[in-house]
Amino acid sequence: MMRLRLRDRLGRKSARRFRIRPVFAGALRREADSLLVPGLPDWEAAGRRAADALPEGVADLVVEGTALAPADAVALATGLAMRLPLTARLDLWHEEAAALVPLWDRAWAVLQGAAFARGLVEAPANLLTPRDFAQRLEGLERHGIAVQVLGRRRLAAAGFGGLLAVGQGSANPPRLVVLRWAGRIAAPPVVFVGKGVTFDTGGLSLKPAAGMAAMRADMAGAAACAGAMLALALRDSPAPAAAVLPLAENAIGAAAYRPGDVLTLLSGRTVEVVDTDAEGRLILADALHYAVRAFRPAAVVDVATLTGAAITALGHHRAALFGTDAPLLAAVAAAGEAVGEPVWPLPIAASHRADLASAIADLRQCASGRGQPDACHAAAFLREALGEAPPPWAHLDMAGLATRPEGEGEGRPGATGFGVRLLDRLVASRFEEAHRA
Amino acid sequence: MTDFLFVKATLPKAGALVLPLAEGFSLSGLAAEADAACQGAIARGLEAAGFKGKKGQSCTLWAPGAHLSRVVAIGLGAAAEAAAVEAAGGALWPLVSAEPEAVVDAAALEAPLVATLAFGARLRGYRFDKYRTREAAEDKPKLVRLAFATTAPEAAKAAWQPLSAIADGVFLTRDLVSEPPNVLTPAEMAERCKGLEKLGVQVEILGPKEMRKLGFGALLGVAQGSAQEPRMVVMRWKGAPQGSTAAPVAFIGKGVTFDTGGISIKPAGGMEDMKWDMAGAGTVIGLMAALAGRKAKVDAVGLVGLVENMPSGTAQRPGDVVTTYSGQTVEVINTDAEGRLVLADVLWYARERFQPRFMVDLATLTGAIIIALGHEHAGLFANDDALSQQLTAAGAAVGEKLWRMPLGDAYDKQIKSDIADMKNVGGRPGGSITAAQFLQRFIDTKEGHTPWAHLDIAGTAWATKDSATVPKGATAFGVRLLDRLVADHYEG
Repeated sequence: MMRLRLRDRLGRKSARRFRIRPVFAGALRREADSLLVPGLPDWEAAGRRAADALPEGVADLVVEGTALAPADAVALATGLAMRLPLTARLDLWHEEAAALVPLWDRAWAVLQGAAFARGLVEAPANLLTPRDFAQRLEGLERHGIAVQVLGRRRLAAAGFGGLLAVGQGSANPPRLVVLRWAGRIAAPPVVFVGKGVTFDTGGLSLKPAAGMAAMRADMAGAAACAGAMLALALRDSPAPAAAVLPLAENAIGAAAYRPGDVLTLLSGRTVEVVDTDAEGRLILADALHYAVRAFRPAAVVDVATLTGAAITALGHHRAALFGTDAPLLAAVAAAGEAVGEPVWPLPIAASHRADLASAIADLRQCASGRGQPDACHAAAFLREALGEAPPPWAHLDMAGLATRPEGEGEGRPGATGFGVRLLDRLVASRFEEAHRA
Repeated sequence: MTDFLFVKATLPKAGALVLPLAEGFSLSGLAAEADAACQGAIARGLEAAGFKGKKGQSCTLWAPGAHLSRVVAIGLGAAAEAAAVEAAGGALWPLVSAEPEAVVDAAALEAPLVATLAFGARLRGYRFDKYRTREAAEDKPKLVRLAFATTAPEAAKAAWQPLSAIADGVFLTRDLVSEPPNVLTPAEMAERCKGLEKLGVQVEILGPKEMRKLGFGALLGVAQGSAQEPRMVVMRWKGAPQGSTAAPVAFIGKGVTFDTGGISIKPAGGMEDMKWDMAGAGTVIGLMAALAGRKAKVDAVGLVGLVENMPSGTAQRPGDVVTTYSGQTVEVINTDAEGRLVLADVLWYARERFQPRFMVDLATLTGAIIIALGHEHAGLFANDDALSQQLTAAGAAVGEKLWRMPLGDAYDKQIKSDIADMKNVGGRPGGSITAAQFLQRFIDTKEGHTPWAHLDIAGTAWATKDSATVPKGATAFGVRLLDRLVADHYEG
């Protein structure tokens, strides 16, 4: 994990480390072994800018926070840490460090969660199969998170038709991982559901070769959910929470599922497969249904790198937000805004559901043909998985936000950890109220 | 042409009788009279067909007696509110259009709702058939007289007048959008704007010479590849009460009468649809006709930029830099992102000349908006929350739905150019948003803030299937919405 410390004094060796110096006027500039960072009014954004401006290879930093108010100092360090390489070492130096402790502890927990998610997203797909992913998640047990892993046999017995079909073409069989954080409030948990396609070739509806390497990040939704669970545990959140993470590799092979196949999902609904590259909604539908049935949750939030249409719609600056419950959607949007992970609502219109009508099954997985509002179709599809008494539900399509693509001008390429801080903030703002204690 | 009449209730001696019925209905008045004349066949028939008056339900009873050729029951739903009544009006049309005469029993409805019912029927009855020269008589609608039987014919007629003017505007837009591109050139479209003069609209037409003098480098750059000359048309309706000092409201439309894409040419499949790339302008023209036709108490200006986008030896190239009327320069990366170039000059001109209270532009601007939202909502981009809310509410009221999309600096960065003030495309990610960012650079100036909204109607201008009041084809999406916006907030 990233090494992040709060210091009230610096040792002699620190003099040789790279300094981040906040300033109140002027431009961002380098001076010997330090970076002068103008920050007003948003010190976190200043931290992100500073990280992007660091000289090549610098990964050992001292942030001189003494001149800043505690919240600003922590914000500056947070912005930096979100963009630093995972091997980085960062000390926040503030002469009155004691005053920063509560703020820092919280920020530290969430940064560790984000780093955990980033590490998963950056892992190559040969080193992060569904089994490897599940093993890494088992490591969360030492933080007090209960981890349950369901393998192929149990998934088949329970009827996870979507997850099994997507995973059946791969030599690396699928898993379902359930994470539980008990919290202290006696209430139904908030449940995160995250798409964990460890590599997405598209299946028989094969993707073009160019850019396929980026598909190792197609598990960023599951990583974000796991990172958020870690953050809640590290900061000892009182709120009960769970994550349901379907993990599969969408491979091409003799046993792969086909366009035209009809699957029976966990909900009992039958689905006509149109495009094997629209696999995320199939595994999420099973996981969502399981989440609703197993937990009777206070709310369900799913997170997924789901559709190219979301990128066409909102680019790389906002994730698409869908859902059925206006207060929950408002809380998700507010949480995203607060932590610099902005979202924007998109509609699930009657016509979107109508477009999924199938001639031979309960519904189609997506509409065929180019130029479809596929993010909206996917959301309409997922809504069907919530069952007869749906809990408040929000769906985040973060396809454009999992990684900073090369050449897009916004910082160094790599995993963003998008979603971890948003989910953590959502829990803090909505599921930790005193009256639920 | 069908005459729409509002009459006292009397049982027709022949033809069709239409019964709009709410849930839990019992036959009364004209319906009861007809039922009695048919020895109870109507009540029995509706019972047998399982007709309950639900929204969207209808039932035709053929020759039930009393010389009636058919009785058509249409469900109004539980509440019989305006939207359901309008939809019922639309639903009744195809069920009686083969009859020469039909009477609608609207006695249970208040006068404004009677007019709404007729409005729905009229909107659905639109047909663009001028180029069908061999259509068999039995395939054409025959309805010459559609009478609405009401207890208050005069009040219904009064409520009908403005709605009929709005329908005229909608039909003008649908005609323009449906016209083939060899007929509807920029010059021809400008000529058709002249037709609005008889409604009291002042119409000015600017040709290439005038636009060159003004410095419309962006619009002219798009037009330069076509043998058809471009036009800009300025339409002014002065309906505000004497002494009103309010600035006019302004509507601006993209009018690319045919969009091949230019040198960045489009694929052949589906290119014929590009005749309706002038739907934004068509909508503004129909809207001006609607406002003038119902004598709206507002000063409104409508401006449309009319061009054809063609590849040729004189066409604009990817890589060209053009100087817009605003003085800002644009590097043309893709000649198929031409709509924003046309709008840039017209928007700047509109703001500079009229200093309007607000500007709303309409354009079939991006394919990306279809991928973002589909065909049920148009994309709404705005620099002003109040205007955005007014538009969204007006759209919801008339069934032309809008969905707000974001703007922001992060998106604006995508249209930075290495050699000019901006480039005309920002890549696939957020393609509709970067198009809106481009337009916004021609709205906000150092001198001040003009409330502005941009409606990307690429997904809603054309329908591939019938809906209650919109037959498939040109929808005229936006005419009713903007008429409602004016009526609700900017008149008097």
